[in-house]
Amino acid sequence: MNSTNSSGSDTLLSNASNVIAITAHEFKTPLATINSIVDLLTSKLQADHLMDAFYQKNLSQISSEIFALNSMVDEMLTINNILNGNIQSNKEMMDIGSLLPSLKEQYRAFPDDGRSLVIHITGTPREIFASPAQLLRIFSNLISNAFKYSRNNDPLMHLDYQDKTVVVTITDDGIGIPEADLPQLFQPYFRGSNTDGISGTGLGLSIVRSFITANEGTITVNSQPDKGTVFTVTFRYPDTCQ
Amino acid sequence: MNARILLIEDKAGLLDTLKSLLELHNYTVYTASNGQEGLSLATRYLPDLVISDITMPVVNGYVLLDSFRADPQLSKIPVLIASAKNEAHEIELVMQKGAAGYLTKPFVFTHLHEEIKRLLGNSITASKE
Repeated sequence: MNSTNSSGSDTLLSNASNVIAITAHEFKTPLATINSIVDLLTSKLQADHLMDAFYQKNLSQISSEIFALNSMVDEMLTINNILNGNIQSNKEMMDIGSLLPSLKEQYRAFPDDGRSLVIHITGTPREIFASPAQLLRIFSNLISNAFKYSRNNDPLMHLDYQDKTVVVTITDDGIGIPEADLPQLFQPYFRGSNTDGISGTGLGLSIVRSFITANEGTITVNSQPDKGTVFTVTFRYPDTCQ
Repeated sequence: MNARILLIEDKAGLLDTLKSLLELHNYTVYTASNGQEGLSLATRYLPDLVISDITMPVVNGYVLLDSFRADPQLSKIPVLIASAKNEAHEIELVMQKGAAGYLTKPFVFTHLHEEIKRLLGNSITASKE
């Protein structure tokens, strides 16, 4: 009886997981259509010399909301895959520095307030054994948070090639994280008590931690409310692993 | 002469909007709502570029890429895949099947246009060689 129940509940979970995956994918086509309509309106207004600051601002706003919604769908899909053990790491020898052009480009002008990502590199570049796609996701998420939860200065990414490890810090001068929230920070769906009015699913840092664990790295956080946050991500070089 | 693009997409709303966008940017556009129609139009018109979805009825994007690669007339036409699938193994698979580029939906037109210019530039270079 028990095994029948267990098998039935496994099937139910597996079906639920498939429904989430299919639904999340199905969300993307209407998002793509709406965004293409925004692009079409933008192109047509420009071609007819009718574009002005009002149209520009509101069309940009629609587009940025579409991509925010798309990020939420991606996070749901990723966490669904993580929970079902469907994450493939595809690790290879790679230099974290090779991800910088893509990250720099992604955050060249975000979010239309003139700020950009500042990158510092120290030490001699060395390779780690990790998944480039997952590392890109890790840093993209941390940098996105640094922009989202700060307002004044450019977020800073520091890549430091040390003797046995490569250490990446992402620093912002934003709203910070209350001390009481820190123990739950990496739990799925947890959102800081001071994030009201700032969009998010609470899945991003949970995904970050899963990917860091999958790549045998570590993550720590230091934060002070109203002063800012520093996330420190560390990976060991393969020849120094015990 | 305007560059000719074949768009293959089963969602009518997206197909119509992308067609209008590309025409606004002076491309000649043919449209198909599945891979089978796409193959038939590609054979008839030999477009300069194909932009195709993956998940479609009748003939999907994977079979479409296989068919392009197996046909000497079609194998030189670059195929840009535009799909909602963003998993690394999916992208790797379609690139192995001969796709010339990959865009994940939703995308901004600027990125699509950059890819189109890159691929049309490549095919022009290829035809001169």
